[in-house]
Amino acid sequence: MKRTTLSKALVLALLFVMGLVLAAGTPAGTEIRNQASASYTDSAGQPQTTTSNEVVTMVQPVYDFTITPNGTEAAPGQTKTGLQGAPVYFNYTVTNNGNTPDTINLTAPQGSSDDFDFDSVKIYLDTNCNGTIDPGEAEVSSVDLNADESACVIVEAVIPAGEADGHKGHANLSGTSAGDSTLTDNDNWAEAVVTSKAVLDAAKSANPSGEVAPGDTIDYSIQGSNKGGSAAGAITGVATVDGTAKDGILISDEIPAGTTYVLGSASGSAGGGTTSVIYMVNGSWTATEPGTASDVTKVGLLIEGTGAFFPQGAQYQLNFQVTVNAGTAANTAIENTATVEFDADGDGNGGGTGEEVDSNTTSNPVAAVYEVANGPQDDPDSDGTGFTSTYTDPSGNTWNYSETTDTTDPRDDDAETITDDVYGGDTVFFPFTLENNGNTPDSYDLSLNIVDPDTTDGADPSTWTCQVMASDGTTPISGSIGPINPGDSFDYVVKCSIPADYEETGGSDAAHIEVTATSEGDPNVSNKVTGIVTDVQSGYGVDAADHGNSNDNDPSNDNPPAQSADPGDTVTVPFDVTNTGHNPDTYDLTTDLPTGWGGTVYPDSDCDGQMDDPAPAPVADTGLLNEGETACFVLVVDVPDDESPVDLDGNPGTTDDNVKITATSNADPSVTDTISTDVEVNAVSDLDFSPDRNGTVTSPGTIVYTHTVTNNGNEDASVTFSQSGSTHPTWTYQISTDGGNTWTDVGSASAITLAPGASQDVQVRVIVPDGEPIGAIDTNQISANATYTNAPADSASVTDTTTVVGGDLRVEKKGETCADASCTNVTSADASEAKPGEYIHYTVTASNIGTADLKKVIVSDPLPGHTDFVSVSASTSVSGAQVLFSTDGTTWSTSAPTSLSAGQAVFVALDSDSNGTIDDSDLLPPGESITLEFTVQVQ
Amino acid sequence: MKENRFLWLLLFAVLLTAWAGQEVLRLELSSYRVVQTTNEKGEKAEAFLPAVSAAPGEVLEWRLRAANLSKKVLHDVSLVIPIPKGTRYLPGSAAELHLDDEIKVRPEFSFDGGATFAYPPLFKKVIVEENGIKKEKRQEVKPEEYTHARWLLPALAPGQIVNVRLRTVVR
Repeated sequence: MKRTTLSKALVLALLFVMGLVLAAGTPAGTEIRNQASASYTDSAGQPQTTTSNEVVTMVQPVYDFTITPNGTEAAPGQTKTGLQGAPVYFNYTVTNNGNTPDTINLTAPQGSSDDFDFDSVKIYLDTNCNGTIDPGEAEVSSVDLNADESACVIVEAVIPAGEADGHKGHANLSGTSAGDSTLTDNDNWAEAVVTSKAVLDAAKSANPSGEVAPGDTIDYSIQGSNKGGSAAGAITGVATVDGTAKDGILISDEIPAGTTYVLGSASGSAGGGTTSVIYMVNGSWTATEPGTASDVTKVGLLIEGTGAFFPQGAQYQLNFQVTVNAGTAANTAIENTATVEFDADGDGNGGGTGEEVDSNTTSNPVAAVYEVANGPQDDPDSDGTGFTSTYTDPSGNTWNYSETTDTTDPRDDDAETITDDVYGGDTVFFPFTLENNGNTPDSYDLSLNIVDPDTTDGADPSTWTCQVMASDGTTPISGSIGPINPGDSFDYVVKCSIPADYEETGGSDAAHIEVTATSEGDPNVSNKVTGIVTDVQSGYGVDAADHGNSNDNDPSNDNPPAQSADPGDTVTVPFDVTNTGHNPDTYDLTTDLPTGWGGTVYPDSDCDGQMDDPAPAPVADTGLLNEGETACFVLVVDVPDDESPVDLDGNPGTTDDNVKITATSNADPSVTDTISTDVEVNAVSDLDFSPDRNGTVTSPGTIVYTHTVTNNGNEDASVTFSQSGSTHPTWTYQISTDGGNTWTDVGSASAITLAPGASQDVQVRVIVPDGEPIGAIDTNQISANATYTNAPADSASVTDTTTVVGGDLRVEKKGETCADASCTNVTSADASEAKPGEYIHYTVTASNIGTADLKKVIVSDPLPGHTDFVSVSASTSVSGAQVLFSTDGTTWSTSAPTSLSAGQAVFVALDSDSNGTIDDSDLLPPGESITLEFTVQVQ
Repeated sequence: MKENRFLWLLLFAVLLTAWAGQEVLRLELSSYRVVQTTNEKGEKAEAFLPAVSAAPGEVLEWRLRAANLSKKVLHDVSLVIPIPKGTRYLPGSAAELHLDDEIKVRPEFSFDGGATFAYPPLFKKVIVEENGIKKEKRQEVKPEEYTHARWLLPALAPGQIVNVRLRTVVR
């Protein structure tokens, strides 16, 4: 008995294992998708990720099926006894082990190594798998099965009338796959033995007959009757109940693995003998149902009697219930077979042919149950237990969270709120945990939804970039996650990058990041968790201020003090810039200055408020500043030379400020700070009057000197003239400001107005009366006196020195400064200014202003100091005459000298008779002149 | 004119895409169906066929080619091949990567969706109930439970190309 029970258990175990091993596999048509990924650290030290292309492979159909129980004709898999002329029934299970639907064509050939052929062999589909052919269950030649699906099939074989006891007949249930005709299963032989003794059969049914879920109840019913030719008898000591050996017939049934007996559910009846339900507890039968259901491992119906007490046609029935245990894995086959033991041959023992009959095997596959809990970190069921309130992101930042629990199904209102300050530009993380609460491995799609709790506040969190990552925060999760085994959990995070310019505080929460995990096994199963950011503070800020005053939360001292400058001056404005935001940032530095002004920003590396020496390279931005970091700079403002006076209110920070500095965030250009100040330009007076003049005049005689007056101030100048210093009261000095058309006394001339930078020539005429002695000299100072609107008055003077000469020879010398030796580019018309390298071209003209010829006219001119000789030439207006040159005044040549040493002079004389000598015969007639042109270069 | 404008826009978009891409590390994943063959001499060999489709039980080989397209050295390069759903890892098929004679990179594996990696054997903690008492036990993870394989390279030189591979069996 014990051996028999064990072998049944082995069969059941084998079937169970076969059910797992022969699982259909991945369904045909499934796409196997794969995408590789990589992470790395780039040359800037920043972590980066990337993904490959996606590869898709389609799963092909595979056909596979089995028919059980197996058996060869020599060793049939099942044996039934039956009366001659009566049918016997063989129970089979046909299972599709492929990954695609298939049709199994069935035949039932007769054996060749037996005693007889059955009168007929028919195949029936046992739709409800109760082991019997019920009304409406039709004869079939094939069964259609989905992948992993099984069907119960009964082969009815009718024993010919007149067959003798002990004869054996064989039948086989043979199958062929319609999807792959090469697949067959032909070793399922069964044997019928003819008997005229008692035959008890056993048909077992399970309700429901198909899939069950954990927690479901299965109603089992085993029923049969004595279909033999005589009464069935008792087995002596068929069961020991509560320590007492009992005689009779025993119908027993093991509680299937994965189920638990339902207390009070067992009942039984029989058409003979005395019946009682007994229970196997701890390996022994008892008639008393135990208090703990799980203690029951087997249920039995004991039909007590003596001798052949169970008549032909008498029936029996045993009913009980089991509950499918929670957590029973999907696709587990809950299989069960009952056994009937009786005495057929009257020897009081069981074990003879046909004296132990197995029922058909019921099989209830456990359906897949899909459940998912998706909740805060380490608390997927969101009951508050196990919640972990911190997460350290890949950058090493530790985030803190609070949990909103939700223990009312569907538990979609659980949430995780960041309790730290969040700033624009931050990357925040929400760690979540997902748990498979179903009974089958499952994968989950994680859908991300960014919800704006207040769509009217102008801040839209849909601008955030959120992504589902593995719990390390760096590995992106593409597609679904899983498969995850039942009871296992999976940690993941949602990483959200908040735009730099994002800011939302007060009122409703800034953003709700919802993640819904949806079962791939049952898309109707899902669970949502929410990550909450309540406020987002601005991540960027800047404070520009006068040097030493940034980041002091005092805007009143931000503007640099007012300054003033003369035209052409430079003004330095030291200032500081502080990153007052949360994130590192760089700030562009721009200036707003009056037109024509120059402005250059230099770093002040030692932050002393002074220009560094040597001057560093100018900058256009601050460079990267970390949170709270300050950088110092100096703005150098160049005031143009000709700038007009600028008069401001002297109060920086007002609307008339003319120098502005703005620092603008690179990350968020809306973040700027501007400081401003006044740079006033002084009113400047500067009058120039030149050159001094020297001249000779006869008595009586007149000479005119030309001077230039220039306004170098930055305002209009009103210029009048005066004179002083003349020692010859009889000499008359007059001035003309209109080019010599009108003359007035020097002090009476009308004022002239000169714009800034403007010049005007004025002429001074000296009238010498008759009778002045030769050699008389008068030195007179002519002053130009300017007045300005704002600038102080200024004046400048020239000195005219006039010498009375005898005769009638007047010598005039003029000069002009040139950029080139040929003097095509004049830089100063009166040679009042000359730069080193420039050329001065002198023209000396000696004219006979008298009425008689002048003899032996010699003109000399020394080489000026700080100059080098360049060239000399001479000419005369006297017809037929020539000029001769000399460097000592005695030796004459028609050739001009080519060099002069310092202090040496050049002499030019008129050789009117062209005899090569200079003597009294050389005459300069009245009105004629001799001209010397002398060019030197300024050293 | 409209066509020209469209072409210009298209060109601009292409250029913009190219600029925006600035691909540094290029990953190319390919798959092959591994078929055992026997030649006339009875010698066994493997053939690699395009894995457009595969049947349960068949072996797929996944090959990942990684190329550093930048001009800078990339550090801590982690190459990850997931074990795709519908397949299981074939033990021993993920080969060691030889960067040079001295640097050999052993593959690591994950059973938690790529969150953590370790060299096999991997272990996980499970809660078991014994005599009504729940206990935490350390249990070895079977290779068929692996979800990802990873090769962690210390550095990848500019222009350097490496290939890693593994095999999975269609469930």
